[in-house]
Amino acid sequence: MADNFDPANVLIKAEQLRNSLSPAFRDDIVQSIYSEAEQIAKRSVRSTSQKSVDFDQRVDQIVTSPIFGLPIMLSLLALIIWITVSGANVVSAWISNILFPIGAWGSQLFTQVGIPWYITGFLWDGIYRAMAWIVAVMLPPMAIFFPSFTLLEDLGYLPRVAFNLDWLYKKAGAHGKQSLTMAMGFGCNAAGIISTRIIDSPRERLIAILTNNFVPCNGRFPTLIMLSTVFVAASFSPVWTSIIAATSVVGVVLIGVIFTLVVSWGLSQTILKGQASAFTLELPPYRRPNVMRILYTSLVDRTIFVLGRALQTAAPAGAAIWLLANINVAGTSLATHTANFLQPFGYALGLDGVILLAYIIAIPANEIVVPTMMMMYLGAGSMVDGPGSNEGIRSLLMNQNGWTMLTAINLMLFALLHNPCGTTILTIYHETKSVKWAVWSVVITLGSAIGVTFITATVARLLGWG
Amino acid sequence: MNISLVLLATVLLIAILVPRYGLLATFSAMRQRLQKELTEDALKFLIERQYLGNNPSIESLAGKLHLSHTKASQLVGQMESQGLLAMKGLQLTLTPAGEQLGLRVIRAHRLWEKYLADEAKMPLHRIHREAHRLEHNTTSDQLNRMEAEMGFPVRDPHGDPIPNISGKIVETEKMPATEWPQAKTARIIEIEDEPQIAYQQIVATGLRLGMHVRILDRTKDSVVIGDGINEYRLAPIIAANIQVAPVSEDAEIAATHPTLAQLKPRQVAKIVSLDETVQGFTRRRFLDLGLTPGAEIYPELENFFGEPRAYRIRGTLIALRKNQAEQIKVTLQETI
Repeated sequence: MADNFDPANVLIKAEQLRNSLSPAFRDDIVQSIYSEAEQIAKRSVRSTSQKSVDFDQRVDQIVTSPIFGLPIMLSLLALIIWITVSGANVVSAWISNILFPIGAWGSQLFTQVGIPWYITGFLWDGIYRAMAWIVAVMLPPMAIFFPSFTLLEDLGYLPRVAFNLDWLYKKAGAHGKQSLTMAMGFGCNAAGIISTRIIDSPRERLIAILTNNFVPCNGRFPTLIMLSTVFVAASFSPVWTSIIAATSVVGVVLIGVIFTLVVSWGLSQTILKGQASAFTLELPPYRRPNVMRILYTSLVDRTIFVLGRALQTAAPAGAAIWLLANINVAGTSLATHTANFLQPFGYALGLDGVILLAYIIAIPANEIVVPTMMMMYLGAGSMVDGPGSNEGIRSLLMNQNGWTMLTAINLMLFALLHNPCGTTILTIYHETKSVKWAVWSVVITLGSAIGVTFITATVARLLGWG
Repeated sequence: MNISLVLLATVLLIAILVPRYGLLATFSAMRQRLQKELTEDALKFLIERQYLGNNPSIESLAGKLHLSHTKASQLVGQMESQGLLAMKGLQLTLTPAGEQLGLRVIRAHRLWEKYLADEAKMPLHRIHREAHRLEHNTTSDQLNRMEAEMGFPVRDPHGDPIPNISGKIVETEKMPATEWPQAKTARIIEIEDEPQIAYQQIVATGLRLGMHVRILDRTKDSVVIGDGINEYRLAPIIAANIQVAPVSEDAEIAATHPTLAQLKPRQVAKIVSLDETVQGFTRRRFLDLGLTPGAEIYPELENFFGEPRAYRIRGTLIALRKNQAEQIKVTLQETI
């Protein structure tokens, strides 16, 4: 009897018993937990009415219906983007009016004290200006976009979007929830990549991470809007301007969505090959949103987090921009030398050297692409706004710097497809814990950007257009 | 002498001789690794052959590992001196130490296959090669943790038993599909992953582990296997790689049940069981969401593209794709 209590025998006995279990014993355990929970719930929870369930069902019938489902979804997205873009302009102007005078005042103070111009310029026109620019341009759209997006999330509407669109993503070998991470990407790709945590299978999550950048973020929207207003819409009568501009932005966004799906499909056929794993999607009941929580999660978790990372990368970028523009070799600035060096490559892509230089400098944050370009075209020593009017920008670019319609269209394509910004690359690294995937994300996006612009430029030129 | 030449020579010498990171160290580490892999592959082969009841010769080992006869003899000599195997005449026999080590490698291989298939969701035809690469570089500690995390699986995705921590293999009753009596339902419990060609051919037909099948016809040059819906025709030599076992009565009844995907809108049903082929990550997910046997469920929300469909279960609404709904067996209840 005594040797029955020998630990070794107990282990052997346990092993034997385990092997005699039916393979489904785990199901039985979970089932018993559930039935226990059900009994407790039955004893202690009383439901007063069936009303809310009926309401949910009626709403669900509408938002997932074949007639209203898609239009509701698109108009909500368009509404949020419209509110963001138009509202952000106002707030951006306020912030600029506070931050830029501080910069001017600071550099004036430095000059009065007698600090050499290059230190003043480096600190105030370089680093401070870039950081102020980022805050002014990046903070307002994020502070508007994220709360409105979180509102939809809190309402319980977003899972219905994933439900409606899953068939598309299934075809691409991806997860329906990727549509939500993409929508988040409109606000900021780094935030979009963090939001892929909602996708619980690793393969589909990686696909969502690697393709998120094909959705243009807030930082890239101004470029797209400026180009479509100044170039595409300008060829039409003034009555149509805003509609044509909006349509062409939507067109670019659609190209981005198509790219996302095609690249997702390509990835799921090649480097991320695998079976479609569990697609399970909870459609929670509709809830009254909790305003305080919305503000907290969207502002603290998302906005401040992204802005913090952006500022870290903006400071060195500002320094680099200022140095490039202010160090002269043989009478011309380093920036001009670099732009001239990049010119042939830029031309092959239907762009020019200045644009490529702006994109290289703007790797930390895409918001500074346009100001950097304007600085170069105007020959200024620090980032500046362009000419105030659309006609002014048009004549500066077309008449003085050799832009054509092809340049504008290819720049839109390049802005849509090119590599993620520094913040996003860093986030991809943090989320995947792998240098390999961070590098892949750059290779995939930059490869498509170069490939597409090269093809359009070559075809357009062969047709004698541009 | 030229100073730069001396510098260059010094740098080169350092690059070659530095311990751990130098070329020499790297090269010998690589050789050691290759040697270890070769030894482990040899042990695995010998164990597999011992289970079949024969002790192979050096020739068959050389053939299996794609080595020349000389190289194979060298390997055997080395393993003998390490006390892993003994020569009895022309036959190679494993010592207890060799068997222990070999079982450890098999354990690593099969645990990895299980992990890759069920958790990483890698396609079945690729897991063998990947597991073969990983099995040599996994510590016992890692293996034990992997095993615990997966809930101590008994079989790998091909149906082969996984040796437990003390190297014991639990065998179950089974026989090749070619010997199974006609017209009796059997469960596929093993599809041998070697030879690869046979395995790929079987998988390509759509036959899967855990499937309930019957032998419909057996002639000299073909075996016809049916699962009630489709018929699969295989050459006998290929079909012999499929091992089957009797089906329990409960399981046989479950097989006749409709699946969740077949329910009409708002048709109430009770879950009977989850398909046996659903393992690992997906199964846990199902159970977490409350898709447990006995639960009441009905399709509530249709998608205008056919799938996914949302089901009401325990008061919550959960959307599933069609191929997942097909993995859940139900019995019909009366409609609400």
